[in-house]
Amino acid sequence: MTPAVTSVAETNAIPPRGRKMQRPLLDRIAEASGWNVVAIALGTIALALIYGPLIWLGVMSFSAEPLSGKPYPLTFAHYGLLFSNDKWHAPFVKSVVLGLVVALACMIVGTFLARALVRLKRPGGVLFVALLPLFVPGLTIGAALFIFLRTTLDLRLGMWSLFIGHMVWAFPFALLLILIVTIRFDVKLIQAAEDLGAKPLRCFLDIELPLLMPGISGAGIFSFLLSFNELLRSTFLRGSETTMPVYNWAMASAQQSQVPIVFSLSTLILAVTLPLMGGLFFMLFARK
Amino acid sequence: MMPKPSRHTTTLATGPTAGRQARRRADAQKETRMPEATPQTLPPDAGSTALPPMLEVIEATHRYGDVVALDGVTVVARQGEFLTILGESGSGKTTLLRIISGLERPTAAKGVRIGGADVSELGASDRDCTTVFQHYALFPHMSVRENVEYGLKVRGVAAFERRKRAMEALELVRLAHTSERRIHQLSGGERQRVALARAFVTRPSILLLDEPLGALDEKLRLDMQEELIAIQRNLGITFVYITHSQEEALTMSDRVLLMKSGKIAQEGQPTELFDRPNSAFAARFMGVENILEGIIEKVALPYVTLSTGGHSITGQWCGKSTPRVGAKAVTGVRAERVRLSNVNEAPASANGFSCRRTASVYKGKYLDLTLDTEVGPIRSRLWDVDAAPAEPTFIHWSHDTCTVMDP
Repeated sequence: MTPAVTSVAETNAIPPRGRKMQRPLLDRIAEASGWNVVAIALGTIALALIYGPLIWLGVMSFSAEPLSGKPYPLTFAHYGLLFSNDKWHAPFVKSVVLGLVVALACMIVGTFLARALVRLKRPGGVLFVALLPLFVPGLTIGAALFIFLRTTLDLRLGMWSLFIGHMVWAFPFALLLILIVTIRFDVKLIQAAEDLGAKPLRCFLDIELPLLMPGISGAGIFSFLLSFNELLRSTFLRGSETTMPVYNWAMASAQQSQVPIVFSLSTLILAVTLPLMGGLFFMLFARK
Repeated sequence: MMPKPSRHTTTLATGPTAGRQARRRADAQKETRMPEATPQTLPPDAGSTALPPMLEVIEATHRYGDVVALDGVTVVARQGEFLTILGESGSGKTTLLRIISGLERPTAAKGVRIGGADVSELGASDRDCTTVFQHYALFPHMSVRENVEYGLKVRGVAAFERRKRAMEALELVRLAHTSERRIHQLSGGERQRVALARAFVTRPSILLLDEPLGALDEKLRLDMQEELIAIQRNLGITFVYITHSQEEALTMSDRVLLMKSGKIAQEGQPTELFDRPNSAFAARFMGVENILEGIIEKVALPYVTLSTGGHSITGQWCGKSTPRVGAKAVTGVRAERVRLSNVNEAPASANGFSCRRTASVYKGKYLDLTLDTEVGPIRSRLWDVDAAPAEPTFIHWSHDTCTVMDP
């Protein structure tokens, strides 16, 4: 939706770079054709629907009675409760650690597979099988893994089974992101490095890895987020472990007095992760 | 520049050649050695210096599946020679280059030697030669200086020394001022020169250049040709240069190797290829405008007379085979050798025909006339338009400027 908005600026982008903002926005809208107006309107509505509730959540986390729907009177009480309560610490740490491990595993395995795929004569079959889990519903994967691991193999579920479930979920996304950079990578650069005297490992570390890094780190960030937010598969595979989403969901569904704390916690996580991820993406992709 | 301490270090052309050779041999001692070079594989003057040729590829054959890219090709180059491999795309010249650099292993070869040492079992990273790739293959995530330093870095040269030598190399290609720039900030010609500096900064025994000027515009190409010759003289490195342009081959090389479908069609000095092509293919490739087919009717070496369409044409025999009366052959003459006149004044030592002008094409520096004659259309090139008749009725060209060769 964002491109639709910027495209108006670009179609009328006669003024040189950096001076775009000199013409008032309303003038530019007035000059735009009918379809552009529709595009701007739809784009604005969509963005409002995405960001509005997020901002509202932030506001309501300060409300004395968040479930009443009214922000007033404002209070720090929930945040106070949140910091004096340490029950959420363990699930939070577990989710962070699990997310980091899943991200690392996805980055390493994804890099291996993506590099191999571009060197295959017919990568179609392997790619299809590797990406198919994207289209399997989370509940199905969760239930299938549960049946297989818990009842058939009679294993005790725990962090390791959560890792497997999250990996199955995050890996196809990670692979796609890394595949983009491996497809773009020019194999001639490796030959040039080899020709200059570099051994294969050296070629990989000096030439290939730095050039693949944007895709690999993107895959890492994405895998972490997917794992950190994952609930459906976790409910089947968690054994006796509690991750952050499981904890939040349990609190919210129990309709306890703890609910406002969940709002505060979500707001805090949002306030920390959004700028962090935004900044990372900017560093990786926008800066040249 | 000074001799530098590194595994691949060699001194500049001014340094003692024998010492360089000895060091290189010492380098190669751990490698398995092929039997000493057989006499027939040595270039004409190699015996006088008693040094092995810098480069030897003996009867190399390479197949990609069913396609024979290289068919028993032998290439030998002297120390400091500028050898050009000329050919159309698909003639096997790039395959040959990749076999020398080690990026490709030949399907079969009797030997691949650099500086007399067998390198056929060595990979590209262990061979004492570097390549300037067709599209440069510069590392986009490194600065110009880091690109040039890379070969030294993998050889473990210390950072200070590395930097100094990279800057010297960049000065030689007149790009020292761009050392901290990124590759994408450079123009095509500048990239080409960075690729060159990156390749020679390690002082390889052989520098391989794969159509390095192909992507440049004409003006830049001409400048770079001269620059390359100057750098090659300066460094004294053996250059193996690949191109499809006969003009580049003629301008820069000590020796040219013309390739056709995986084989060597002709080999020799530029003037030899230009003046005495040995086959219809070589003649066409070297830009001979007038080529006529016929049957040999008289052999009186060095002259051979050819019968074409009932007319006789005499020229010097340049073919590889021994001419036989009754065999098929072709004759060729360059357009600028065809003389025009209004009277039949052809001397006895010339081929003369009557003609009628059918077309003329103005090319700026010269005028190309197409003339209809008894033996078919003949092209003539006029450099001085005023000195020639506007509507010629007779043409002739001397036996000595006319070649007869294998079909």
